[in-house]
Amino acid sequence: MSKQPEHETAEIRGTPLDKAPDPDLGTEIIAKERYTDAGFMRLEWERMWTRVWLVGCLERDLAEPGDYCVTEIGPESILIVRQPDGGIRAFYNVCQHRGNRLRPTGLGSAKTFQCAYHHWEYKLDGSFERIPDLDTFPQGGPCSGLAEIPCDSWGGFVWYSLNPDVEPLLDFLNVIPEHLDPYNMPNMAMTRDITVEWDCNWKTSVDAFNESYHVQGIHPQLLWHLDDLNLQIDCYDKHNRYLLEFATLSPRVRVPPSIPEGIKLVMKQAGMDPADYDGRVSEIREDVQRYKREHGAEQGRDYSTLNDQQLTDDYHYMIFPNNTLNVHADDYWLFRQRPHASDPNKMYFDIWTFELVPDGEAWPERPEHKQFKHGERSIGLVLDQDAENLPGVQAGMNSRGFRGLWLGNQELRIRHFHKTIDDYIYGPGDKPEGAL
Amino acid sequence: MDLGLKDKRAIVTGATRGIGRAIAERLTAEGARVAICARDADAVTEAVEQLGGSTTGGAVNVRDADEYKAWLEKTAEEMGGVDIFVANVSGGGGMDSEKNWWRCFELDVLHTVRGCEALLPALKESGNGAIVIIGSTNAVEYFGGPMAYNAMKAALVNYSSQLSQFVRGEGVRVNTVSPGPIYFEGGAWEMIKGTMPKFYESTVRKIPGGAMGTPEEVANVVTFLASPAASLVTGTNLIADNGYTKRVQL
Repeated sequence: MSKQPEHETAEIRGTPLDKAPDPDLGTEIIAKERYTDAGFMRLEWERMWTRVWLVGCLERDLAEPGDYCVTEIGPESILIVRQPDGGIRAFYNVCQHRGNRLRPTGLGSAKTFQCAYHHWEYKLDGSFERIPDLDTFPQGGPCSGLAEIPCDSWGGFVWYSLNPDVEPLLDFLNVIPEHLDPYNMPNMAMTRDITVEWDCNWKTSVDAFNESYHVQGIHPQLLWHLDDLNLQIDCYDKHNRYLLEFATLSPRVRVPPSIPEGIKLVMKQAGMDPADYDGRVSEIREDVQRYKREHGAEQGRDYSTLNDQQLTDDYHYMIFPNNTLNVHADDYWLFRQRPHASDPNKMYFDIWTFELVPDGEAWPERPEHKQFKHGERSIGLVLDQDAENLPGVQAGMNSRGFRGLWLGNQELRIRHFHKTIDDYIYGPGDKPEGAL
Repeated sequence: MDLGLKDKRAIVTGATRGIGRAIAERLTAEGARVAICARDADAVTEAVEQLGGSTTGGAVNVRDADEYKAWLEKTAEEMGGVDIFVANVSGGGGMDSEKNWWRCFELDVLHTVRGCEALLPALKESGNGAIVIIGSTNAVEYFGGPMAYNAMKAALVNYSSQLSQFVRGEGVRVNTVSPGPIYFEGGAWEMIKGTMPKFYESTVRKIPGGAMGTPEEVANVVTFLASPAASLVTGTNLIADNGYTKRVQL
């Protein structure tokens, strides 16, 4: 990573920059069947998805008692509800009578949850409110109401787990809160809430965001905006990250005669005027950092918890298993990749983007959720470029002519991701010889 | 054909790369003594070294009128006079801020005007004085929207013609060379090819010659106009664009 600018003050700690030692994960081919095989998909479900913590919804979306969110993971539907006492509870979204789904996917507000089938009714805490004709059940009503699951909050999100014995959320998140709390993500407002149905395995999508090697392949325009080669990769216990410089040039391209449009945009967002800039392109990144440090407060933007690099750069985190986050000083994007209920060749790609709301500015209206299939609408140039390849990659994973994933050092995070999945499926270090 | 450039003294602005650099190289190859300037001191040192021979250079921000004028006068004195001035620096495109107008006014127009005014005494004394201003086909053809860059290049075409009448009697010729899209490593079109490939391809398709020009091809035209071989040519705007512009030039 680049040197620290001299003006950085000692008290700004920011997100830790220490390089984690690279794990030795070998150079073996990653089996392609992990992306296509229904049996492996079942293993993932039974031993991984049902044991981890998952992002459910925005805490802010459950502002009042009775506000709820229904979210789906694989074959399950989860109902997350703000309680009258301010707490949050999560349940399987299933009526205990005949198994009907209680509420459709999405946000809502309720005083009670009444099943649409025979009108069994539940309180916000999941206990029974009313069972019609209870006296016709000689065995009485079920002893408990909705099936509750663990749930907790961090980072402005409500998390849930399908594992009744899951470790505490903060233990699961490990270094993540220490690393991302400085961004104060709950103070950023949601700007996009989109779900795209993609014809690929959920890991095919996670992989697409966990390396910068593909930038020269499918995002050539970004070579005039970021350094895709000199980045820091850190693998932690389950999660991993890379730190990537924005507002700079890739070493793969020559210095252009004028400021590239992508870098101009960074300058303008900081409040600088590129037409007024006389420095070299190579000096812009640190000049933007200095400018934001000097002018952030007057713009109502508190950067006091961030180090200088964070004022320009892309800190990209993968929170295992399915969250990839591009985190920046003024915005962040969370991509939540969810598996299809039964088909390993399909998934749901959730795009949640957020922007810092400067002090004194009104909190913007929450965007409505949109869902569509790949290709029906643009999701922006860069994400369109990412998405365009994925069906072809997935088709190739199913080809008899493809031997498996041949990964290089730039793709270390993908190896680490698979290693973590294996730790869940087979137990740490216990993967049997020849297992998928 | 002998262009008659041996030992002629030339100043080229913005000549560490691209078109300016190619002009400096071509003039040097024809036997002229060349002085160059650019903003970046390291780039100037490197270019001077590579151009070799009697080339000199200065790290100058032409937006700084005093610094620029002082360098021009010092250079003219060191060379014992000036026969050729090539005004090549440009502010480039952009229409996202009013500052682009000031930027292109200063970098395209004022840099040219200041250079001409500072060097005209020496150019008149030369007897074969020649000014070549680098314009752009954007001055005469729609390109990329209502950019300051385009309008200021048009201002230069007008200034060049007016000046040519004004000083011809004193032995100085003034011409503009307006290149069309010029591709070179490290140039704007290389970046556009990478960042806006569709725009790049549509631009190439508009060139009946089939390819963008090279800095060397522009330098050939500039070098001819700057040379005594072009003694009859003044006040013209010579389009060097491989057929990119579509208008009929009468």
